[in-house]
Parts: sequence; structure tokens; C-alpha cells
Amino acid sequence: MKCIRCGKEDSVHVVAKAPDGSGAWEIYKCDVCNYGWRSSEPAKMLDSSKWDPFFSLIGVDLNKLMIPCPIPPLREK
Amino acid sequence: MFKDLREFLAKLEEEGQLVYYNDEVMPEPEVRLISRAACDMGSGTAPAVIMNNIKGYKGQRLAVNVHGSWANHALMFGMPKTTSLKDQFFELNRRWDNYPNGKVEWVDGDKAPCHEVILDEGKFNLLELLPCYKVNEYDGGFYLSKASVVSKDPDDPDNFDKENVGTYRLQIQDASTLCMQGLAFHDIAIQLRKAEERNEPLPVAVCLGVDPVLTFMASTPIAYDQSEYKMAAALNGIPMVLTKTTDGKLDVPAGAEFVLEGEIVPRVRVPEGPFGEFPGSYSGTRRQVLIKVKRVTHRKDPIFENLYLGRPWSEIDTLLGLNTCVPMFKQITETMPEVVAVNALYQHGLTVIIAVNPRFGGYAKSVAFRAASTPHGISYVKNIILVDGDVDPFDLEKVMWAMSTRIRGPQDVFVIPGTPGMPLDPGSEPAGMGVKVIIDATTPVAPERQLRDVRMVCPMPEAKKYQDILTDLQKAANKK
Amino acid sequence: MFKDFREFLAVLEKEGQLVRYADEIVPEPEVRLISRAACDMGSGSSPAVLMDNIRGYKGQRLAVNVHGSWANHALMLGMPKTASLKEQFFELEHRWDKYEEGKVEWIDSDKAPCHEAVLDEGAFNLLELLPCFKINEYDGGFYLSKASVVSKDPDEPDNFDKENVGIYRIQMLDADTLSMQGLPFHDIAIQLRKAEERNEPLPVAICLGMDPVISFMASTPIAYDQSEYKMAAALKGAPVVLTKTTDGKLDVPAGAEFVLEGEIVPRVRIPEGPFGEFPGSYSGARRQVLIKIRRVTHRKDPIFENLYIGRPWGEIDTLGGLNTSISLFKQITETMPEVVAINAMYQHGLTVVIAVNPRFGGYAKSVAFRAASTPHGISYVKNIILVDGDVDPFDLEKVMWAMSTRIRGPQDVFVIPGTPGMPLDPSSEPPGMGVKVVIDATTPVAPERQLRDVRMVCPMPEARKYQDILTDLQKAANKK
Repeated sequence: MKCIRCGKEDSVHVVAKAPDGSGAWEIYKCDVCNYGWRSSEPAKMLDSSKWDPFFSLIGVDLNKLMIPCPIPPLREK
Repeated sequence: MFKDLREFLAKLEEEGQLVYYNDEVMPEPEVRLISRAACDMGSGTAPAVIMNNIKGYKGQRLAVNVHGSWANHALMFGMPKTTSLKDQFFELNRRWDNYPNGKVEWVDGDKAPCHEVILDEGKFNLLELLPCYKVNEYDGGFYLSKASVVSKDPDDPDNFDKENVGTYRLQIQDASTLCMQGLAFHDIAIQLRKAEERNEPLPVAVCLGVDPVLTFMASTPIAYDQSEYKMAAALNGIPMVLTKTTDGKLDVPAGAEFVLEGEIVPRVRVPEGPFGEFPGSYSGTRRQVLIKVKRVTHRKDPIFENLYLGRPWSEIDTLLGLNTCVPMFKQITETMPEVVAVNALYQHGLTVIIAVNPRFGGYAKSVAFRAASTPHGISYVKNIILVDGDVDPFDLEKVMWAMSTRIRGPQDVFVIPGTPGMPLDPGSEPAGMGVKVIIDATTPVAPERQLRDVRMVCPMPEAKKYQDILTDLQKAANKK
Repeated sequence: MFKDFREFLAVLEKEGQLVRYADEIVPEPEVRLISRAACDMGSGSSPAVLMDNIRGYKGQRLAVNVHGSWANHALMLGMPKTASLKEQFFELEHRWDKYEEGKVEWIDSDKAPCHEAVLDEGAFNLLELLPCFKINEYDGGFYLSKASVVSKDPDEPDNFDKENVGIYRIQMLDADTLSMQGLPFHDIAIQLRKAEERNEPLPVAICLGMDPVISFMASTPIAYDQSEYKMAAALKGAPVVLTKTTDGKLDVPAGAEFVLEGEIVPRVRIPEGPFGEFPGSYSGARRQVLIKIRRVTHRKDPIFENLYIGRPWGEIDTLGGLNTSISLFKQITETMPEVVAINAMYQHGLTVVIAVNPRFGGYAKSVAFRAASTPHGISYVKNIILVDGDVDPFDLEKVMWAMSTRIRGPQDVFVIPGTPGMPLDPSSEPPGMGVKVVIDATTPVAPERQLRDVRMVCPMPEARKYQDILTDLQKAANKK
């Protein structure tokens, strides 16, 4: 399955199903960009071509995203 | 006052400040719309909302907008729900000094309500256990927007006062993984830095659905070595009842609805966001801290508490309002006792209104400089409106009046560009740079030239007695 | 819809928006304190107050704060009392255009309720007939603060549209003598000038206790040749019922509680004032117009209506709030349809908040220039805050948000000294000179450089439906 946000192939898997057993929806997660979504969201949100392109991560180098809480150097042992 | 969330919800219900939404709703977009609608009912008396029929989560309970109005805020502090904002400010300011009397009590782990149900790794899926939903449309995932994260100082693990309780936004990634925003200036970042320098995990307990005053304190920046638990106890006037997490590592409120025990994985940052934030804008996708949850404990029939935030006015504004005001007031009045009250409700203090009796000509502007140089104010405070001490800074109609009748000209309105700014402010460019706008709407005092010889109609404190009578009469009229 | 003052009071009472103060009180200071207290209950839902046990006036009835809250204001317009200000603005704006449909009906003078009692000269003493009181401590005497003065154009006495109905402050000097403030820009001053040029008296009818919509229109500056009666009828969607005064000279509302028939004595000016005015300051003693009353007519068991005016928020602010806003809105949108709404409620428009969708870069500032150059704005409008079209300018919490997140720097805040000003503004020095402060809190549009690339959380009009549901649920919860 392809991620609707970053466009990576085969990066998505099911991480949850409706706990009441109704089968109402599943939740998916992309292992690359960590986007999470539910299968029952409004149609617009399930098709990123209908999104505000501001929120798409297609072609974005995720390694270059800002790190608000920097990783410090290791302490000398 | 209330020993846990449930007691508080019962009080809200008794006061007509809690409603149940029983119809079936979709997790998206209806839970968001209902949360937004509760906020749209206005900051005065909007009720908390409990939903228990969310499609796919049938029977699981979600509470939103618990802190979403000044009525609820007053009830949280044991005051009548009609208490004015100004009176709540002064009461809170008074209780704040009660910190040394804040007491903690302990209950054994096996007797704590929060441990009624214990789920080990593999036995829980956070996305199924919590009736979660997209807080805003383009959020990167499912967020805990009102979780209190408990952690200790790795260099000083036995120092209870340094044990931190803070509200940080958390994205649920999968069954047992969370992603957390910890900004460099947050207390938890200090602790995480020490752990990561050693390449060690930092144990955390993520508590959901706690005593409302604790939630309030968890969202208040206080000194690093001040305990949020003790401060909450001081504000509450009753001891805070804690217990150990099942792994014995951390201290959590015994009556919490959920406790997620886990640890921050050291030296890892993963994509998180975007997330609709308090200025009403989305903060973008960033690489943030990763948390592995090892065990979940919860009360029987637990209630998941979350909040809506986005375009103001929303619950975050009421939750963060007075706890931004009071510390700033404390800091400014240390050296400027002429300051009567500080309203820093707007966007965490991006706009503040300060009531002051100027000591001498121009002094109100000195107060503005002080506000802009407090620890919080340096970056946050952008617009500073100064009004006379007899103007209630929480009553915006009166603030407009002060601006209408006190601004004389260029000597009263200043713009200082190129100052530090708040990165989440969309007007800040580049992010982190900003501007200070000072509007002095106080009456000039000597040696400054006075206003021309006018006399103001005097305030009438004696009218308060009649206000109470009329209020009772109207209440009776409405009961008919 | 109600057809007179009494019917409106009945509506207010039914809605819990009228209370009766039955305990004995002294005229000074208690009537003032009770009137002040009613205003202090807040502009949202404070009730009208009826007093009938004023020492010395036992049994005579006084009504205050009839227009004192937005709830009462909504009921006056036939809307639910919870209608938001913005909703009231748009409803009123819509009805404003129906002037041509405003109809007047006549009833014979001897059948008009306002003529149930007729008292000729010597048979009445105004200071005894009306349960009067010092509105503010240092007022120069006993004032009629909510009287509608009817007068005709001496050059065109048969032109009904030029018959003027206006609220001017009136000091009662003795049994049958009044002093009135008529400023040169008031319509009545035009008529008086014509009469005085000929050394002729100007007949006037002073009406107290009318259909609230007529009082509302009497406090609205409309065109000289527009009839306040027709406009009131247009706003009501029902005819206004008039009758002739007993002397046949003027047209008055048939259901008025009191009508004082008399004339302005030509070419005489006598000391009047001071009087606590709407900016919250006293305007000084002046030499003003003299009125002799020849006859008083009134209904059986009449109700004297008056209003408290002084430090905001007072009844005058609610009475004059939306009509100031609408007039300005109509004028500006003639050429600037991008303006969405205008809030000019503060001190008659000294501070205004304008919501606009800027057509191109910098356009919001052009709107500010337009506001500052409207007939009313030239002198009155001082502080102009511009917000985006999706921000409710009547919701000050949201206006604070716009200021918090949209002001970028010196390009958005301007002070222009040396402009015309409003003499009653205590900061206007010399009186009549002023300043314009422009605060542009709109989002920049092309060709102006945009804010850095941020996305705002979208407004959610779909949430409105849920808001109505939650509101009903809370109402039910409060009835328990």
C-alpha cells in the first residue's frame, strides 16, 4: 500500500481496527513519514490530490526536517 | 478540591456545565466538529462534552472541553461558576503563594484506582484503547493533546521537586509508539539531554484524565525545581494523592484514568506533525522524540480526556490563560508593585493588557519594557496595552474604552521592530524574530503634562451590592 | 411584535430580562447605584429594571436599562435573546435598506393612549411628575437622558420626512423649564437656527417611554430628510402609530408614556451641565438652549424611562452601538464592498474594528482611510483595527487573536497626529483635535509579500449545527 502523504510504495500497514468489532474502519500508518489515517475519514482526506499541497511530503527529504529538540553529544565515559 | 477527573465531571454535571452527546458520531470529522462547537459556545459558559458512541469505539468514553470555559475554570478552583475572570485571577494569585503548603499523600500501587486494569506489552493497542480522532484535518496523525508527561532528572532521580509533569503534544504512531514534541526550553528537554548524553532511555509516564488542577499546572511553566504536584495541591487546598507506577520508577496521580508507562528512546528523532497549534496555524512536520510504551494501566470504564485547539477561542486558551497571567504578574510586581493585574490570555501572551497605576510620568511604558523582558515575555509578548489601575484588563469592552479615551498621539503608540519573537506566531519572520507594539492607554501623571482639565465619572464600588441583588432577581425571573 | 413601551417591557419580563426592584430606595444615590449595577451585570444579558418605591415618589414608576444588553437589543429586533451581535448586525443591516417600506398610521388625538391624562400649564411640576434622580454625582441637575425630542423644519413644516426625532440631553430646571444641549451638527440645530433667525420659538414635543425601536432610531444620525418614524417602522416591519400633539403642531408616538409639549425660547442661552457623558467624563457647564413646557400629557399610571450613562459599559453603549456601526458600514461599503462588517460600538466609534477581505496588498489601510473620512469618522473615529473577513469584529477575543498573529512590524501600526478629533474625548487637545491610530491585523495579500509559508486551521462552518445541539443539551441540563 502506498502512503497518501509521502507517496512511498509499500510503506503502509494496518495498525488498528475498530475495537468494538464493528469493522467500521481501520487505521493505517506510514513507516517512512509516520502519517496516520483512518479508512473512514472524509473522502477528501483519503486522496492527497485533493489536499492543500502545503501538507504533501512527496519529494521532501525527511532527513532534513527540522529537529526542535537536538540530540546532544555523548558524555565522555 | 476534586481528587480526580471523575469528581470534577460530577461537579460540572451538577452545575449544568457538562453535557452528554449520545448519538452515534464518526471519529472524523464529527468528533472534531463537536469539540469545535463546544468552544464556539463561548469562553463564558461552554460546557464539557462526553461522547460515548463514537463509531468503532462504541461504549468507550471521550471527554472534551473540560477546561473550556471560565465557568468550568471557576468550578475547578471551587469558586461559583459566575466568578469574574478578574476575581479568578486574584484568587489564583493568592493561592500561588501557598506553594510551601502543598502536600502530597501516597497510596500503595495495588490500591490505586489508576491500576485497576493492567495491560502489558502486546496486550494493548493505544489506537484502539483510546477513542482517538484527528484533532484537526491535516494533523499528521492521532494526537494526545492533553496528556501530562511525568519524568525525572537522571542526575537527581530522588529529588521529588525536580520530577517534572508537563503537557506536551503526543502523536500516537501505532499500538505502543508515541512521538512527542519537546522544545529545547521545556523542562523535559533538560532531563532528556542528560539521558541522551549517556545514551540511556528516559522513563516517562503519560497520564490521561487527571485532576483538572494538575492538568492546569502541567501546562504552566514553573521553576525547574518546583513540583507541579505540590503546586497543584497548594492551589487545590487538599493533598495530591500519588502512587508509584507499576515499574516503580515514577510518581503518578492515583486517580488518573490512564497511565502509559514507557520510555523515550535515546538519540532517535522521527517525523511528527503537522499539528494545528494554539495560534490557529499548523506547525509543520518535524523530527521529534520517540516514546515506546511498555505497559498501560487504567481505571475501570476509563474516560479518555483530550482537548481541541486551533483557531481561538478554544479550550487551550482557557487552560493556558490564567496560568500565563499569574507568573508574569508575579515577576513584574517583584519590582513594580504599581501593577494591579495582568491579562495575558491571548495566544499565550502574544497580546497582553496590563493595568497599572503609574508612579510617575511615562512609568506605564517602563512596565511595558519589563513585560517584554520577563523570561516568558522576551519571546512571547508582542502587543502590550497599558490601562489605568481602575480599568479591568480582563474586560475587553473597558479596554476598548481606555484606548478610545486615553490615547493622545504618537507619544502613546510605539512599534519596536527586530526584537525576539515567538516562532509559532505566523507574523514572526524569520520565525523567532518579532516586534513589540506598545499602546499606552493610561492617564498621564506628573511630571508629564496632564490631559486637559477633565473629570472622569467616579467608579462606584458601592454599586456591587445592588448588582448582587439584581442578579438574584434575574435568576429568579429566569426560573419562572 | 410590541407596539409600545409597555408591550416591550412585557416581552422583556417574559424572557427573564426585566426585574422589579420593590424595596424602598432614596433617589440619590440609590437609583444611580442600581442603574450602574444593572450595567455592571454585563452587556450580554443584563436586565431592564423597574423601580416603583423611590422615597418621595412612592408608586411612581421608573424604568432603566431597557436597552442595556445585547439580549434586550435582540428582543427589540424580534430576534431570540441569544442572537449574537454579529447576527444582530447583519439582520439590522438587511432591514436598514427597507426604509421605503416604512409605514406610518394615525389615530385621533383624543383616542391616543398618550393623551389619557392632560395637564395644562400650572397643573404640573416636572420634578414631581417624573421620578427623577441625579444620574451622576456632579451632574448640574436632574436629567432626561433618554427623551426623544420631536421638531419640524420651520421652512417646511409640512414635510413629514424632515420632522426630526432625536435624543438630546435635557436638564430639568423647575416645574416647566428645561435646558437642552443641541450641538451644531445635530439635526435640531438646523431647525433652531431657522427659527432663531426669525426670532420665533421652535415648537418641540419631548416624548418619554416609547416603542424601543423609535428610541433606537432617535439616537441614530440619519439623513436630514429621512424620517425616524418611517425608519423605525421599516426596522420593525410594522407601522408606527402616531398622533398629533394636543396643540396640533407635531407628530408623536400614540403610545408614548409622557409627551411634554412646549417650545424652544428663541435667542436665549442659559447655564446647563455638567453632565457625565458617554466617554466616561463630565462635559462642563455650558450655556445651552432653553425650553418652556406648556402642557404635559401622559398615559394612565405612566412609566418614566431614563438611562444611565457614564463609565462604559453603560446603557448608552448598547443603545448607540449597532446603529453607529451600521451607518459607517453603509457608507464604506458603497465603494468598498470587500468590507464584511464593522464594529463601531466603542464610545460612538472612537475605536472601530473593521473586518475586510483586502482586494490587493495594502488595501486594508485604504479602508482605514475611508473610515477616517466618513462624515461620522472624520471627528469620531480615532483607533482603527483592521482584521480579516473571517474574523468576527464583534468578538474581541478573536480580535485579540488577529492582533496577536497578524501584526508584523512597523508596516502595520501607524499613528497620524494632528487630525480632527472628538471634543468629548478627554484626550483630544485642544478639544476637537485628535489622532488616528491604524492597526492593520489582516493577512497580507499580493503584491505584498505574504506571511511566511504557514497554513491556518480552516474555519468550520459545519460545526454550527453541533453548536445548536450542544446549546440545547446545556439548556436542558440547566433546567434539571
